[in-house]
Amino acid sequence: MQIRDYVLRRLIILPILIVGTSIVVFALSRVGGSPIGIYLSHEMTQEEVAQLEERFHLNEPLPVQYVYWAAGVLRGDLGWSGVAAAPVTQVFPQKLAATLELAIAAGLVAVALGIMLGTYGGARRDRLADHLVRVFSISGAAMPIFWLGILLLIVFWVNLGWAPIGRSDAALYRRIAHPTNLYTVDALMAGDLRAFFDALRHLALPAVTLGYGTTAIITRMMRSSLVEELNEDYVDAARAKGLPERIVLRRHARRNALIPTVTVIGLSFGFLLQGTIVVEIIFRWPGLGRWMADAVLRGDQATIMAYVLFTSVLFLVVNLIVDVMYAYLDRRVVLGT
Amino acid sequence: MLDAARPRVGGHRVRAAAVRLRRFASVGGEVLRNPTTLAGVTIIVAMVGMALLAPVLTEPNVPDPYQMPRDWGALNEPPGTPDHLLGTTQHGGDVLYGIIWGSRTSLRLSLIVVSVTVAIGVIVGSLAGFLGGRVDEVLMRIVDVFLSIPELIFALAIAAVLGPSFGNIILALAAVFWVKYARIIRGQVIHVKQNDYVDAARVIGDSRLNIFVKDVLPNSITPVAVQATLDMGNVVLIGAALSFIGLAEAGLAEWGVLVSQGQAGISAGRWWASTFPGLMVFLWALAFNLVGDGLRDVLDPRTERR
Repeated sequence: MQIRDYVLRRLIILPILIVGTSIVVFALSRVGGSPIGIYLSHEMTQEEVAQLEERFHLNEPLPVQYVYWAAGVLRGDLGWSGVAAAPVTQVFPQKLAATLELAIAAGLVAVALGIMLGTYGGARRDRLADHLVRVFSISGAAMPIFWLGILLLIVFWVNLGWAPIGRSDAALYRRIAHPTNLYTVDALMAGDLRAFFDALRHLALPAVTLGYGTTAIITRMMRSSLVEELNEDYVDAARAKGLPERIVLRRHARRNALIPTVTVIGLSFGFLLQGTIVVEIIFRWPGLGRWMADAVLRGDQATIMAYVLFTSVLFLVVNLIVDVMYAYLDRRVVLGT
Repeated sequence: MLDAARPRVGGHRVRAAAVRLRRFASVGGEVLRNPTTLAGVTIIVAMVGMALLAPVLTEPNVPDPYQMPRDWGALNEPPGTPDHLLGTTQHGGDVLYGIIWGSRTSLRLSLIVVSVTVAIGVIVGSLAGFLGGRVDEVLMRIVDVFLSIPELIFALAIAAVLGPSFGNIILALAAVFWVKYARIIRGQVIHVKQNDYVDAARVIGDSRLNIFVKDVLPNSITPVAVQATLDMGNVVLIGAALSFIGLAEAGLAEWGVLVSQGQAGISAGRWWASTFPGLMVFLWALAFNLVGDGLRDVLDPRTERR
C-alpha cells in the first residue's frame, strides 16, 4: 500500500471512530438516568418539569436525544457545568491552558531526559550505568503517579520548603495580564522575570511527577533501539573509517534510534493526558483533570462528557499524526491492515 | 511458535500434552534464571502470601475485615509505636492492617478483572476471527473505539456513572481491559485459520469448537499469558488511582484510599500514612511488570532480551 492510501484510509476511519466515541460517551451519560435532575427544584410543578423536558428534548427517544446533543456539541454547546457553575465552553479554554502548560512541560522534561538517559545507558551496555538506567525505566510503568507526587511533596514542599503548591503566587498573578493563560508565557510577554520564575517554580514538581512515567518509556525505547542500531553494519563501517566513537554515536546510531522513539513519544501522549487528573489533584493545579475529578465525584455529567470526548478526540488525532509520521520516517513499516 | 507442541489432528494428544507440560517446565526454569524476573516472582509470592494469610497475620476487623479498624485512642501515631508498627491514620486506622488487608483487596480486584476480561476477550476475539466478514468489521471497530479513550479516563467515566464503590471500580476496569485480549485472540484465530492442518481438520469433520480448543487456544496462551501478567499489575495500579480520586468507600482497607487519606496529614509531617500504602501499589505493579517482561523475553523469541 502507498503511504498516501494509508493516510487516506486512516483519515476516513477517524470520523467513524470519533462518532463511535461520542456514542459511547452519550450512552454512558444516560446509563445513570435522565440529566433533567440538575434543572429541577422543589417548587416546580409537573407541568413545569414537562416543559423543561420538552425544551431540552428529553422526552424524545434516546437516538433522537443523541442527535440533538451531537448537534449541540458541533455548535459549541457542551451544556452546563454544575461544578464550575458556568457553561462548559466558557470555563474550558482557561482550564485547558492550565493542563496544556503542565502537559507540555512534562513532555519536554520526558523527551529531553528520556533521550539523554536512553543514549547514556545504551552506549554503555551492561555496565553499571546501564543497569541503573534499566531499573529506572522498568520502574516507570509501575509507578503510581499519585504516590510519586506525594513523596515529592513530602520532600520538597514539607521538609525542604523549596517548591510551592498551586499554580502561582497570588500577588504575582495579579501583577500581569494573562492573554494566553499559560503563566510562563504570560510572564515572558509581560517581561516580568519574577513572575516567570514563580510560574516555573510552581510548575517544576507537577511536571516532573507527570513526566516520570513517560520519561521511563522513552528511556527504555531509546536504549533498546540504540543497542540494536549499534549492532548494525553501518556502525562498524563508520568506526572502520576512523570516525571518533562520539560522532558515530551522535551522528549515526542515535539518529536512527530516534525513529522508533518518536512513535513511543506519540503513544505515551495518552499516558500523559490521563496522568494529569491525579497530578492536578495532588498539586491543586486548576486544570481540566481536577475539574473532571470534581465532576466525577459530584455527578456533573456535562463536564464528564465534554472531558472524555475532548481527550479521546485529541488522543485519536495525535495517534494518527504519529502513525503517519512513523510511516514517512520508516518506509520499512508494513502498511497492512 | 509452538510447533513442537502443536497437537496433530487425531491421536497423539497425550504425547502432545506431555510435550507441552515439559515445555512449560522448561519455560519456568528459563524465566527464573533471569534475576529481575526472580525478584518479581519473589515479591509476588510475598504479597499473595500476605493476602492469603491476612486473617492469621492480623486480627480481622469485625464485622467487615475489609474496613479499616478505628482506634480512637491512637490517632496519627508515628511508625514504631507499640501495636502500630507502621503508625496509624488520622482516623486511628492501623497502617499495617491496611497494607495487609489491602493486599487481599488488590488480589481480589486483579484476579476478578483479569479472569473476566480474558473470558470476554476470548469470546469477542474468536467470534470476530471465526465469523469474519461484517461481524468481524463491527466488533473490531468497537474495539477501536474502546482503544481510543485512555484507560484511566474511560474507567473513571464508567465508575462515575455507576456511582462510587469498590465493586463499581471492578466493573469499570473489566469494561475497559478486555479489548487487548480480543485483539490477540482474533489475530491468532485468523493466523491459525490459514494453516493447512486446520483445513485438514475441517476435511475430516472437526467442528469449529474443536479447532478452537485444539489449535487456537494452545497457540494463544503465550501472548495472553504475558498480557494477563502485565494486567495483574496494571489493574491494581489504575484501580488504586480510581480509589485515590475518591471512587471507593472511604473506610475501605485499600492502598489507593489510604494514600488519599494520608495526603491531608503530610503538611503536618505525617508522612507514613501515604508512603507505605503507595509503596505497596508500586511493588505490586513492579513485580508483575518484571515477571511479564521476563515471560515475554522467554516465550517470544522475536523480542530481543533487553
